Amino acid sequence: MMTEQQTPRTKMTARDVRVFYGSKEAIKGVSIDVDMDNVTAFIGPSGCGKSTFLRTLNRMNDTVASARVEGTITLDGEDIYSPAMDVVQLRARVGMVFQKPNPFPKSIYENIAYGPRIHGLAGSKADLDVIVEKSLRRAGLWDEVKDRLQDSGTALSGGQQQRLCIGRAIAVEPEVILMDEPCSALDPIATAKIEELIHELRGRYAIVIVTHNMQQAARVSQRTAFFHLGDLVEYGVTSDIFTNPRQERTKDYITGRYG
Amino acid sequence: MIGPAIFLLLAGLGAIAWVSARARAMRLQTAARAGGRRDAVHSLPGYHGWYVALWTLIPAALFLAVWANVAPALVTDAVLRDPAAQTLPADGFSRSAILGEARAIATGAQAAAFNPASQPFVEPYREALTEYGVGGAVLALLLAFAGGAYAFTRIRADFRARTRVERLVMAVLLVASLLAIVTTLGIVISLLWQSLRFFSMVNPIDFLFGTKWSPQSAALGYGNDDAFGAVPLFWGTIFIGAIIAMIVAIPLGLMSAIYLTQYASPTVRRWMKPILEVLAGVPTVVYGYFAALTIAPALRDFAVAIGIHGASSESALAAGLVMGVMIIPFVSSMADDSIAAVPQSMRDGSLAMGATTSETISRVLIPAALPGVVGGVLLAVSRAIGETMIVVMAAGLAANLTLNPFSSVTTVTTQIVQLLTGDQEFDSAKTLAAFALGLVLFIVTLLLNIVALRVVKKYREAYE
Repeated sequence: MMTEQQTPRTKMTARDVRVFYGSKEAIKGVSIDVDMDNVTAFIGPSGCGKSTFLRTLNRMNDTVASARVEGTITLDGEDIYSPAMDVVQLRARVGMVFQKPNPFPKSIYENIAYGPRIHGLAGSKADLDVIVEKSLRRAGLWDEVKDRLQDSGTALSGGQQQRLCIGRAIAVEPEVILMDEPCSALDPIATAKIEELIHELRGRYAIVIVTHNMQQAARVSQRTAFFHLGDLVEYGVTSDIFTNPRQERTKDYITGRYG
Repeated sequence: MIGPAIFLLLAGLGAIAWVSARARAMRLQTAARAGGRRDAVHSLPGYHGWYVALWTLIPAALFLAVWANVAPALVTDAVLRDPAAQTLPADGFSRSAILGEARAIATGAQAAAFNPASQPFVEPYREALTEYGVGGAVLALLLAFAGGAYAFTRIRADFRARTRVERLVMAVLLVASLLAIVTTLGIVISLLWQSLRFFSMVNPIDFLFGTKWSPQSAALGYGNDDAFGAVPLFWGTIFIGAIIAMIVAIPLGLMSAIYLTQYASPTVRRWMKPILEVLAGVPTVVYGYFAALTIAPALRDFAVAIGIHGASSESALAAGLVMGVMIIPFVSSMADDSIAAVPQSMRDGSLAMGATTSETISRVLIPAALPGVVGGVLLAVSRAIGETMIVVMAAGLAANLTLNPFSSVTTVTTQIVQLLTGDQEFDSAKTLAAFALGLVLFIVTLLLNIVALRVVKKYREAYE
C-alpha cells in the first residue's frame, strides 16, 4: 500500500458545496478532495445526496432546471462553475457511467466512436479504429466483442453493456471517471468483472464511485465518504471507516442499524 | 298526439317500476338484516330497481320500434279495404300520390287537398290511423306491464339482479362498438359493389394505368375507352399531398417538436403546444379559403413575375403549401411523442460524453426516435391524400400530368366531388368512376395506416 502513504495527487476539490432543488437544500456544505491514486467511494442511505453530489462534479445537474449549486468545485485548480469553463470540455475531462447501462441504439463500434467523433479526436478511420480497440481493451470487453463490432450495443448482456459504457467514457481520454451505482442493475458475476475493471483503471484515472453496497465500497475503494441527509458525515481511508469509524452515525450505518 | 303521450306514460311506468322494485328489495334487505344475515340479499336494492325498470321499458320500446315500421303498411291496407278504393287509378304513381295526400291531410300536415280525388280517403285514413295508433299504444303498455310484473315477481333475496344489469350494460357497450365497425364494413361493401359495376364498363388496367382523364367526354357519348385513365389524378394527389405538403410539414413539424421537447422552457411549452394543437382543429374549409383566395393568386403573380409559363391561378403549389401547414401539428405531435419516449438515460449518456444539446439531438435522439417519426409522417401522408376541401378550392380541375408546381393539377378527392355533385344519372360510368376512385383512395390510406401503426408499435416495444 505504497500510494496510501505518499501524498496523493489531488485532482478535484470541493469546498462548502451546497445544492438546492428549488428551495430544498439537498447538499449542505460538503468539502472533499478527490485524487488520482485512490478510488473514492460515496456511501450512504438512499436519498442522502451522494448521487446529487456526484453529478455536481461534471455539472450534469445543469440539465435539471430547478437545481442550483453554491460553493466551489475545482478541477486541477480551475473553478468548474466559473463562466469561463466550457461545460462540453469539462464533461470530456470528467466522464460518467450511469446506474443503468445506457448504450446508444447504435453498433458497438459507433458507441465507442461517439465521443471521439464529437470531440474530433481521430483524424482518420484508422485512428478511430485504434481508439475503439484501445478503449474496448481497457474496458475488458475487446475479446468478447472483437468479432461483432457492428452488432447493436443494446444486444449485449447487462454487464457487457455497462463495460461498453465504461469503454465509451474512456474513449475520450477523461481524467476523472464518475460512476453512479454502476453495478446496481447487474448480477454478481458481472459486478465482479466491473470491480476488477475498476482496480485496473485505478491510477490512470481519478475514480469516484457511488454505491449503496458497503461490501463493494470496501472492496473497490481506498477512500470512503459517508453521506447522510445531505451532510458529509465522515471521509477517510476506507479501512478506517469500516473498522474504526469516528462518528456515531457512520458506525450505526456500517453496522446496519439503519439505512 | 299518441306518440309523445305513450313515451311519457312508459317513462312514468319505468320510474314507478324502479321505485317499487327498489322498495321491495330494501324491505327484503331489512328483513334479512333483522335475521342477522348481512349478506343474505345478493344485490343492492338499486340493481333490483334497474332490473325491473329495464324489463318494463325494453320490451315495450322494442315493440314500438317494430310497430312504427309496420303500422303504416297496415294503415294503408285498411284504407284500401274501403269501398272508395275501387275508384283509384291503377297507375302506381298517381295512386300513391293520392294516398299520400290523403294521409297528409289526415295527420294534419296539410290543410286541404289539391287533388279532389284524395278527399274521399281522408276520413278512412283518419280512422285507420287512430285505430292503429291507439292499438299500438295499448299493446305497448300491456307489454310494459307484463314485463314489469314478470321481473317484479322474480325479486328474491338471492336473485342476482346485479349480474343481469351488468350483463345488459355490457351488451349495450358491445352494440355501440360494433355499430362503428358494421357501418365501415357497409361502406366498404357498397364501395366495392359500385366499383365492380364501374369495372364492368371500364377495363381496370385502363383505369389504373391510363393517362387521359376526361369523364365528361364519356358522358357526352364518345365512349368509355381511354376517358378514365386515372394516373393524372393519382399523380396530382401524390404531388400535392405526399410531396409538396410533406416538404413543408416534415421539416417544420420536426423542428417544432425538437424545440418544444428539448429547448423550450416549461412555460413556453405549456403555451405553444396547445396553440399548435388548435391548428389541427381549424376546419379545412378555412384553410381552403386561404389557399384559394390568398396564396394561389400571390403564387401566380410571383410565377408570372419570374417568367414561368403555364402559371395558373389554381396551382399544386398553393394547395400543397397550405395543406403542409395544416399537417404540421400532426407531424409535430407524433414526433414530439416519439422524442419524448426516448429514455432520459440516452440523453444523459450523450451529454455526459461532452456532447452539446444539438449534437445529442441529431446523433442520438433523432436516430432513436426515427421509427416513431416515420410512423407519424406516414399517418400524415395518409391524412393529406384523403384531404378534400383544400384541393377542391385551390388545386383546380384540369387533369394535368405535370411536374410544374405552378400549374393546375387535380386530385382523386377533387374528382370524386366533381363526379358526384349536381344532377347525375347513377348508372353511368362517369358517376361510378367516383366509387372506383374512392376505393383506390381507401385501400391506399388503409395500407399506409397499417404500415404506420406497425412501425410505431415495433418502435415502442423496443424501449419498454
